[in-house]
Amino acid sequence: MNQAQLAAGSRVIIWLRRLRVMTQKEILQLSRDKVLLFLVLYAFSADIYNAGSGVTLQLKRAATAVHDLDHSFASRELMGRFQPPHFSIIGEVANEAAGLQLLDRGTAMAVIAFPPQFQRDLLRGRTVTVQMQVDATNSVLGFLASSYASEIVGEYSLEAGMKRAGLSPGAQLQAPVVLNDYRVWFNPNQRDDWFMSISELLNVITAFAILLPAAALVREKERGTIEQLLVSPLTAFQVLFPKIISMTAVILAATAISVFGILQPLFEVPLRGSLMLFFAVTMLYVFCIAGLGLFIGTVTRNLSQASMLAILTLAPMMFLSGVWTPPEAMPALVRYAMYISPLHYYVDASYAILLKGAGINVIGHSLVGIVLLGGLLFGLGLWRFRSQFA
Amino acid sequence: MGETQVVAGCSHSVEADRIPAVIRVSALRKEYGKQSAIAGISLEVQKGEIYGLIGPDGAGKSSLMKIVAGVLTFDAGEIEVFGVSLNSDSNAERIKDRIGFMPQGLGLNLYPDLSIEENIDFFANLRLVQSSQLTARKQKLLEMTHLEAFRARPMKQLSGGMKQKLGLICSLIHEPKLLVLDEPTTGVDPVSRRDFWAILGVLLKEHGTTALVSTAYMDEATRFHRVALLFGGQVVAQGAPEEIQQLVPARIVAITIPSPAVALSRLRAEFPQIEALGSLLQVFVEDKAGLDARARVVRVLGDVKPARVETMDPQLEDVFIALLRIKKLTTEPDRTSTLPAAPVSNPTQPKTPYAIEAKELVRDFGGFKAVNKVSFRVAPGEIFGLLGANGAGKTTVIKMLTGILPPTAGSGSVAGADMQTAGRKIKERIGYMSQAFSLYLDLTVEENIKLYAGIYGLPASVARERFRWVVQMAGLEGRESKAAQSLPMGLRQRLALGCALVHRPQILFLDEPTSGVDPVGRRRFWEILFTLAREEGVAILVTTHYMNEAEHCDHLALMFAGRVVADASPSDMKSEVERQSGKLVEIDAVHTSAALDLLVKAGFKGSVLFGSRIHVFSKDVPGDTERIKAALSEDPARSILPRSLTMEDVFVERVMALEQAVETTKNGAVS
Repeated sequence: MNQAQLAAGSRVIIWLRRLRVMTQKEILQLSRDKVLLFLVLYAFSADIYNAGSGVTLQLKRAATAVHDLDHSFASRELMGRFQPPHFSIIGEVANEAAGLQLLDRGTAMAVIAFPPQFQRDLLRGRTVTVQMQVDATNSVLGFLASSYASEIVGEYSLEAGMKRAGLSPGAQLQAPVVLNDYRVWFNPNQRDDWFMSISELLNVITAFAILLPAAALVREKERGTIEQLLVSPLTAFQVLFPKIISMTAVILAATAISVFGILQPLFEVPLRGSLMLFFAVTMLYVFCIAGLGLFIGTVTRNLSQASMLAILTLAPMMFLSGVWTPPEAMPALVRYAMYISPLHYYVDASYAILLKGAGINVIGHSLVGIVLLGGLLFGLGLWRFRSQFA
Repeated sequence: MGETQVVAGCSHSVEADRIPAVIRVSALRKEYGKQSAIAGISLEVQKGEIYGLIGPDGAGKSSLMKIVAGVLTFDAGEIEVFGVSLNSDSNAERIKDRIGFMPQGLGLNLYPDLSIEENIDFFANLRLVQSSQLTARKQKLLEMTHLEAFRARPMKQLSGGMKQKLGLICSLIHEPKLLVLDEPTTGVDPVSRRDFWAILGVLLKEHGTTALVSTAYMDEATRFHRVALLFGGQVVAQGAPEEIQQLVPARIVAITIPSPAVALSRLRAEFPQIEALGSLLQVFVEDKAGLDARARVVRVLGDVKPARVETMDPQLEDVFIALLRIKKLTTEPDRTSTLPAAPVSNPTQPKTPYAIEAKELVRDFGGFKAVNKVSFRVAPGEIFGLLGANGAGKTTVIKMLTGILPPTAGSGSVAGADMQTAGRKIKERIGYMSQAFSLYLDLTVEENIKLYAGIYGLPASVARERFRWVVQMAGLEGRESKAAQSLPMGLRQRLALGCALVHRPQILFLDEPTSGVDPVGRRRFWEILFTLAREEGVAILVTTHYMNEAEHCDHLALMFAGRVVADASPSDMKSEVERQSGKLVEIDAVHTSAALDLLVKAGFKGSVLFGSRIHVFSKDVPGDTERIKAALSEDPARSILPRSLTMEDVFVERVMALEQAVETTKNGAVS
């Protein structure tokens, strides 16, 4: 080796040494911040458990009141079909006003009214009407209640028609009928907790990937230590990148706790794809989104400003992630905005790996999205940092 | 505590005994968890007095002031304000409308986005000042503080000194009977500081207001009628500044010896309190009956012959340190040696005749010239002081020299590297320590040092060696695994210095490195700086607001409005001012304000109030002494004596002259 090679070699060693001590410093600092550590642990365990077990998008035991003016065998029979899990009858009301009152108060979610002579008209072959009033304040649940109800009533009506035609319920149908034979893939029991816990995990990862680096940078500004780093021979990259490395490591560790401590044992999420691939994608994603955190850290002066800005950034990112609404259902303009939300790509990739067992060939386009957006964000953070302090 | 009581007793004048004390504190205690903030303080403040609380950070000043203002509860003891015992919240409420309180921190109680006038109006409305009174008072206070022209300027755009003046107005707007000011002059430059004291003095005199004021600057003690020296939540001494001075009767013997090592070891055996500033040793010699201080020092020195020997009166700070030493109150671990020997692995850096050389440096921010053609040179081994008011451009110069900020024009070299092009090289060769100390407080001593060793790319073996060196230098033995935030300020400061020195730079930049550190720690810090400079040839560039520290520098550059307006050694600067304005004469008058009026009428236009004394510049001392005597013939002064200039006098004199020159040219341009 000649002199120049030696010099170049020692430069590389010094470069790596700087990166190493700065990364160690960040991890040490985080480990000393007990409040922050608790928050990370809480968010990656209890918070995800709550979201998975508590939040549901299904209609469960909707409180239903009955206003029965017929009190016949038929009305009771139909009423008896409004059963858990979807419905639960909470009692009978004497008049229409009492039913409305229950709806107003929120005590009942639906009121079913049977007209007088319901049974007589049904047996005579006339068309009868059952009225259902639904509280659709929560539009999804309201919609579900009305469609389940119409399914129940439709079935009863078909049976009543068959009975009148002299056919027993089990008899061969002479009329042409189309049977809907559907298959539920990826989540056969349609368990909300799978969907919800994964979605919450992705949100928590995003929140901390933004907040931790932003807080780490702002803390240095508040304490004035950034000044000391700037007069040292560190480059902007050497100041910022260790924050990203260390925060990514912390988030990956927390994600592992969440996956192996909550998702798998408590919710039995199948984890069909390669976990290696999932963690690799997560690492890439956190790396990238941390650039956004650093950018926030450079434009704010203190921790409260930084967290405020982080929350304001997070809200639209989650809204545009496609977790709640697929892109196709969004207005055109917002649909294009979704393409610049890195969370959108990460959500696609994560569900694909964890629930569908997809490999890298399927999620390729999502990866490209993450890398492009992330590189842009990190570059932006680096540029802001340089222009602010140089 | 016995000695303290005696001191408290002797300062009561006959007149004061008849009037009930405004503040009476006895055996007061306050604890924060296990930490004791106030450990049994007793003192009394009389009506019309400016009472000073002096002591380093953590002495208990702020806690005491908050308790007096009725915003903090206490654990034991008694406190009466205006004769009302503050033992309940409702009693505390009763006195609040008679108190004006200004908490610590520049403009911390003000609203940054409101203008000067809006801030004043807000506090006036809060205090239910009638609008008719408000207009007149506001006008008068704004005129006095020279803030009139900036009425509509938002508070956040004011300089430190202006913020403190606005804070003063806001706490005075309801004409309180007692004013409580917590470190109103910390972080404020000497000119603004002197201005602040002058305004305060006049306003208090006018209304007979009493004031309780704290400060970290020992040399401000002469501003107060009486002071209490606090340390570790206890009163070390109290009384008039002159009385405290006499508690430890002593002389300072200053000797100059080119190589002081032997002399120092001999003297240390005999005299426990020596300040070693390179070749200058200041020995604190307590009076012993019939023995001459100078002769004693010369005898101890034996065959070591000093180049120069001088004797002088000790400063209050010397006495404070002596009192702490006698009472064995200190946060400092016992001194081992001045500085451990330098580790062998000293990187060789290019030798240049000048460590720092700045040529016509200019820096513009938009249309504003922050630094305008600044040139100076710092030789290796020199301690160079950069002085100036807040906003004079000191920080911008340091930023350019440390390679953070590229200059707009001009050139310069630092440690043999060109400023314009080799910013990275400069950063590798310099050490830097800021006012904030820039330590990671949540990391331990060891982790901090090793972090900086890694940042400067030192290999592990060298890092270990430097770590031991820093620990020894800073006196941190046994505290290696303590978190930095658990250290007292003095140790924190030396740890920060150690981190800045871990790569053994040949140039050290120190930006206000001693704020908040107690006098003992501050002295030890300067001794280290001197050893670095003299024995290892490190060039040190330092900025400070402590003018007695400026006195230690080999060379000073005074900055004003982005330019260097004076560049000389401290003694040359003093003789320059004496040549221009004359010698300083101090008058100890019986009725200060009446005497001041008489002197101004008699033509001594530059007379200023300095605590309870009056200062006058005179080009003809014997003649002026007679003229002063004549002017004060009806009420003769206790003493009229010439006094040697301090660096603060020089600083204030020069900057005031420059400010006046700017005013005149401005006015000339207008008319």
